[in-house]
Amino acid sequence: MKTTVRLLYILVFLCIGTITFAQEINVTGKVTSSSDGSPLPGASVLIKGTTTGVPTDVDGNYTIKVPSTQSVLVFSMIGMIAQEVPVGTQTSLNVALQEDARALNEVVVVGYGTQRKLDVTGSVVQIKGEDISKQSSMNAVSGLQGKVAGVQINNSGKPGEAPQIRIRGVGTAYGSANPLYVVDGVWFDDISFLNSGDIESMNILKDASSQSIYGVRAANGVVLITTKKGKSGKAVVDYNGFVGFQKVTNQIKMANANEYATMVNELSNVNGKGNVLDPSQYGEGTDWYHQILRNALVTNHQLSVSGGSDKTTYNFSLGYLNQDGIVEKNNFKRYTARLQNDFQIAKFLKVGYTATGSFSRSRDEAANIFRQLYTAGPVVPVYYADGAYGDPTDYNLGDGNNYNPQVTIDYYNQLSKKTLLTANAYAEVNLFKGLTFKTSLGGRYGQDETRSYTPEYVATFKQRNTTSSLQFIRPQTRYWIFENTLTYTKEFGNHNLTALIGQSAQHDQSYTMTASALNVPYTREGDLYIALGNADGRNVTDVGDLATYASYFGRVNYSFSDKYLLNASIRADGSSKFFQGGNAWGYFPSVGAGWVISNEGFMKGQTIFDNLKLRGSWGKIGNASVPSNLSTLTVATGGGLAAIFGGTLNTGASINTIIPPVTVWERGVGTDVGLEAAFLKSRLSVELDYYIKKTERAIFDIPVLRSIGTESGRIVGNQADFQNKGFEFALNWRDDIGKDLSYSIGFNGGMNNNTVLSVSSGANPIYDGGVGLTSGALATRTRVGDPIGSFYGYVVDGIFQNADEIAKSAQPNAKPGDFKYRDISGTNGTPDGTITGLDRQVIGNPNPKFTYGINTSWNYRNIDLMLDFQGVAKVDIYNANLGWRYGNENFTKDFYDNRWHGEGTSNTYPSANIGGGANYQPNTFYVQSGSYFRVRNAQIGFTFPQAVNEKLKVRKLRLYANAQNPLNFFKYKGLSPEVRANENKPTQAGIDANVYPLSATYNFGINVTF
Amino acid sequence: MLLSNISINMKNIIFNKNLKRTGLYLGLASLLMVPSACDQGFLDVDPQGKEAGVVFWQSADDATKAVNAMYANLRGWTNTAFAPIAVESMGSDDAEKGSTASDATFFNDYDNFSVGSSDGQLADFWAGQYQNVNYANQVLDNVPAISMDETLKARLLAEAKFVRAYSYFRLVRAFGDVPLRLNVPKDATEYNLPRTPKADVYAAIEKDLTDAAAVLPLSYGKSDVGRATKGAAQALHAKVSMYQQKWQQVFDLTNQVMTSGQYSLFSNYEALFRIPNENSTESIFEIQNELIPSNKDASNSQYSQVQGVRGITGGGWGFNVPTKELAASYETGDPRRDATIIFRGETTPSGDAIPATGDNPMYNQKSYVPFGLYVSGFNEGSQQNVRVLRYAEVLLMNAEAANELGNTAQALASLELVRARARGASKTILPKVTTTDKAALRTAIWNERHSELAMEFDRYFDVIRQGRAATIFGPKGWKANKNEVWPIPQNEIDLSAGVLVQNPGY
Repeated sequence: MKTTVRLLYILVFLCIGTITFAQEINVTGKVTSSSDGSPLPGASVLIKGTTTGVPTDVDGNYTIKVPSTQSVLVFSMIGMIAQEVPVGTQTSLNVALQEDARALNEVVVVGYGTQRKLDVTGSVVQIKGEDISKQSSMNAVSGLQGKVAGVQINNSGKPGEAPQIRIRGVGTAYGSANPLYVVDGVWFDDISFLNSGDIESMNILKDASSQSIYGVRAANGVVLITTKKGKSGKAVVDYNGFVGFQKVTNQIKMANANEYATMVNELSNVNGKGNVLDPSQYGEGTDWYHQILRNALVTNHQLSVSGGSDKTTYNFSLGYLNQDGIVEKNNFKRYTARLQNDFQIAKFLKVGYTATGSFSRSRDEAANIFRQLYTAGPVVPVYYADGAYGDPTDYNLGDGNNYNPQVTIDYYNQLSKKTLLTANAYAEVNLFKGLTFKTSLGGRYGQDETRSYTPEYVATFKQRNTTSSLQFIRPQTRYWIFENTLTYTKEFGNHNLTALIGQSAQHDQSYTMTASALNVPYTREGDLYIALGNADGRNVTDVGDLATYASYFGRVNYSFSDKYLLNASIRADGSSKFFQGGNAWGYFPSVGAGWVISNEGFMKGQTIFDNLKLRGSWGKIGNASVPSNLSTLTVATGGGLAAIFGGTLNTGASINTIIPPVTVWERGVGTDVGLEAAFLKSRLSVELDYYIKKTERAIFDIPVLRSIGTESGRIVGNQADFQNKGFEFALNWRDDIGKDLSYSIGFNGGMNNNTVLSVSSGANPIYDGGVGLTSGALATRTRVGDPIGSFYGYVVDGIFQNADEIAKSAQPNAKPGDFKYRDISGTNGTPDGTITGLDRQVIGNPNPKFTYGINTSWNYRNIDLMLDFQGVAKVDIYNANLGWRYGNENFTKDFYDNRWHGEGTSNTYPSANIGGGANYQPNTFYVQSGSYFRVRNAQIGFTFPQAVNEKLKVRKLRLYANAQNPLNFFKYKGLSPEVRANENKPTQAGIDANVYPLSATYNFGINVTF
Repeated sequence: MLLSNISINMKNIIFNKNLKRTGLYLGLASLLMVPSACDQGFLDVDPQGKEAGVVFWQSADDATKAVNAMYANLRGWTNTAFAPIAVESMGSDDAEKGSTASDATFFNDYDNFSVGSSDGQLADFWAGQYQNVNYANQVLDNVPAISMDETLKARLLAEAKFVRAYSYFRLVRAFGDVPLRLNVPKDATEYNLPRTPKADVYAAIEKDLTDAAAVLPLSYGKSDVGRATKGAAQALHAKVSMYQQKWQQVFDLTNQVMTSGQYSLFSNYEALFRIPNENSTESIFEIQNELIPSNKDASNSQYSQVQGVRGITGGGWGFNVPTKELAASYETGDPRRDATIIFRGETTPSGDAIPATGDNPMYNQKSYVPFGLYVSGFNEGSQQNVRVLRYAEVLLMNAEAANELGNTAQALASLELVRARARGASKTILPKVTTTDKAALRTAIWNERHSELAMEFDRYFDVIRQGRAATIFGPKGWKANKNEVWPIPQNEIDLSAGVLVQNPGY
């Protein structure tokens, strides 16, 4: 085996024509870890002062020819302290490398390069790919939950849907609130296409100075992702797979049929009508959640092959994910393939590329199915005895819940496909010593399709369709990014200097075509063509977008004696989005400084600190995630504007928007002060950060006066300045007990305070919420001094018990069982004996104050254990589901148990008429705590001993069992405390208008390395 | 900045064939890229798939399209569905919520006058009318500068004035003083307007209608049927004048309509409201609706659907149903009762059998579309036009004005025309009104309006205008000095930062 490896190396050397001399000395040896004696594969063995070197093989062995006995070999590896050993007369050199406990050589990825962690003056956190991929998260971003201080993740249980992520609070109020993801140099807004197993590392740039090199796209933070690259050496084949299932947890209980019938009658009585249903006829009835939800299977396979010579490396991987949704029929499949190659063509020239293909196919679930499950009447059976669908119309329940969810499931037919090809090629040229030029061209091409078909059917009175319809929506995206950088690195004496200048151009185009037809037959999938539908009634329309960016940037990193650090950068971004407004260019500078106190002479003798570093930074960032051509007034057209005269259509077009008063660059300005320290032989490390991040001239999409007469009643423009101020900590403890047990415990947390500093309309706050969420009322308010999107409404002081009480109150129109609102103010600022809009106040904050995570790992001999906890505290949720009613929607069991149903029955919960009168107006009853704490991951693994491996002819074999979200603790009375912002808008955050239920995932997996 | 004064052609970088000298050239080239000229071109991107506003308002075609868009908005949800039911119908003694007991209970708050300023229908009604105003203002601000046929231009401007006046009339009736916006706001300083006194709003409405009537044609060719006519402007002007008790003006305007030779009463009152008889000789202004199979967006009227018979395919949601008080209000044998109200268990003249059991004993027959015309995938009854102004109402306004002015003979004559049509061939019903007592005749005319225009969204404000609201609506909660107007939508007050002041009592 070893001989083969050696021969291989020799062959490779010969092939590339390394010149050899007779007097060369052949040195062989083994590189091991000093802590446990294990071999170190992939360590670098370099002849000092040359670029000649070899990596160690998988068993830590190496062979190298050195020119003379004077030669010095440098043994190094990331995370280990490098050693220099003079060759002398030795031909066999075994080296034990010490772990670099201070991890001073730990390298993190920063914008357009890498930096030693020591040299970083901002706040950058690196998460290793394996920490993500070992979880059962289907999306790499959700794997970050609880891992990084100050990063809040809101997951969706929906297969294939990306989580919402907030880095240090809300960065922008408009457009995509996603951070910028840079995957191997290509920019993305979403990384759902990426297989977690392909990720080498994720680097989260948290502070403005680190982000500002990405200028206009950095407003929500930047996540730099490097994917795995091949390493020199024998081919390594890895297989990782798991199977498991997803199970709904913390299910809320709804009223049963008997209870529901009682409520329906109570509601009808409140409205002056008689009983509708006879409760004695009903028992448990239908539990719709139980009927429709299921334990959903998930399967994941990932196979990768990597390796290479010292001149060429490769990495090839294939991935397959098959995830069922918790709703019947819902399924998501994703196939990924990735190929990566690096070529050292000449000493001065290196080229490489990465290409990824991702294809996903989703059998979608009806968008409103969860609303239906929450509201469907339990008195309605799924099927009648004769097999027909239970029909709510037979129970006269009204239109609010006039559906049988089983029908919805059975007749819903929507298929979504996404194809994404992305690639990046680069060339790196060493022009002369220390000066490197890198050019890279990246691109992506996406072709999606959503096909929905509604067949002809008659299921219930309301759920029927007599004309089938077919619709295709095909979005296409094309994007390219061309970047060139020139990097100069120079070491002179104790001075270390790295300078970078660069240029970037981006072109981002999207195009969506929608086509539909009526009367399309369906006997098989092959029938689903627009052409087979009626010629009359066919409809084709399209919409597109194009944005371009041109950018220039530069950065200087300087350090002296590893003690004093200085970083500065600037980026100039030009964007077509602001071109029309005459403000195409924005400039984003940053500076940072650091002082490594522990490297000072006066710290030499002390034993407390193994590392102590103080750093501070300041930077500006921008936000271009606004629609293109915002400042260009456009003409509205469409069927809705076509007039009918004489019975025929007449094309209509007009202007029904107002253009915002000139939109200018939104700008983030952030300051960060951090302290890094390591104690107790580096077993304990601490990182503390304090930051202030201001978003100036923030762009909002806000409601405007309807009397302006626009179609949407909303306008986009620079509306407010707001600020996130906070504190973050990360504590890590790592130790060994005896020879067999090693463990680490990490505790991280972030505290964030969001405050609005100014609103462009002066005293006039920004109102939002409303349509479809809170019965049309504006439930949030963004006002100077408050957090962004604060809940705003009435204060409930109790429940009206009788007519007498109402007559004496400020709400003469109320009914017994209605909310009693507090009379706070009138037109002259004092209580005026009536309840009006002036009586509303801030009643909750949807911006979480605390987010935290505890991550632990334990290794005992062959057994490893991972236990992660994660939580959010001090956050409010507006439980809009409770009051968002149209008629006879079902109630929760909690509401049934606690409702007012006669004098003295409750002074906190209203009557069944919660959706009527003034009861649905935003008020404190709907605001509940969204704090939660959960066991995020519990994993136990077993790695087979070497003896077994040899028998099985594998290098490594590990089996594990994992539970994600198995235990969740919260008081919130909705489905899940992870409430995603509606349309990702901070002014509509924390409003729970029916979210996907929370689920736990249990799986069993295997990791094999051949 | 640093790099901006050097420039090189981009092609040199990408296509440099001389790769052997790569290094330095490429390196330097990367720095020298682009700026100035090249960037400007790169960043100047056309809006995609949207006609730019600046190239609009260039031709007669643009002007016509903009006027079309204005008409199209009149049939939308906020103009013809829930919001008008809440604001213009629920308060009356003729209609109540309907549907099932617990559906959309907010309608009850209008019916019993307990509605608060935050109710969404107020905001919808407000928004819908101001959208009409904006479409009209867009035309009135921009079309004058277009070089086009002056006759057409004048007509288009007059149509816009008609729609603007119509919308402000609906606003001023509903809310009293409202912001009067007669131009498209130029910038943010013009967004937030205070309320204009009711009298000034009425003056603006009258001016628009006078201007419109001077230009609009008496009638249109077949392909333009549905556009505002001179008669429409005059009839609306008469109604607006009636709300201000300008009786001479009402009398003069109605006389002009009556002598225009354009209008006559349609013989069959029930059939008048069916689809084949849309835009009949009695029609003065109708909101035009159609079911266009190839254009669902254009077939978007829900006027008939929301009021349709519940529980029947092709029916509807069953809101805004007639009350038993309305059913009882007709004179004995008045055929308009059966033509206005669909009773549970009846078979309609169009042949639809209405089930004998169901949520509501009665439904609105004036918005009814026979169930057989239903096309799956479209709103029920999306074909049905909304009758906004009928000749019968012109006659009744003429009668009322004549009576107020002491011209009893004319009053009786105009009233009799309306009664005679309703009476049809029958000799026993609806006897001719003969009283010459001014007060008694006034009551007779008011009662005639009630029977003739029931369920046409007229009754509620008509009774308030007559000063009888406290008597007629009082029992169900109407209070003087408060309920003459609805509250200004709370959202609007919030967004105005106090510039808009709420109506008293809300």
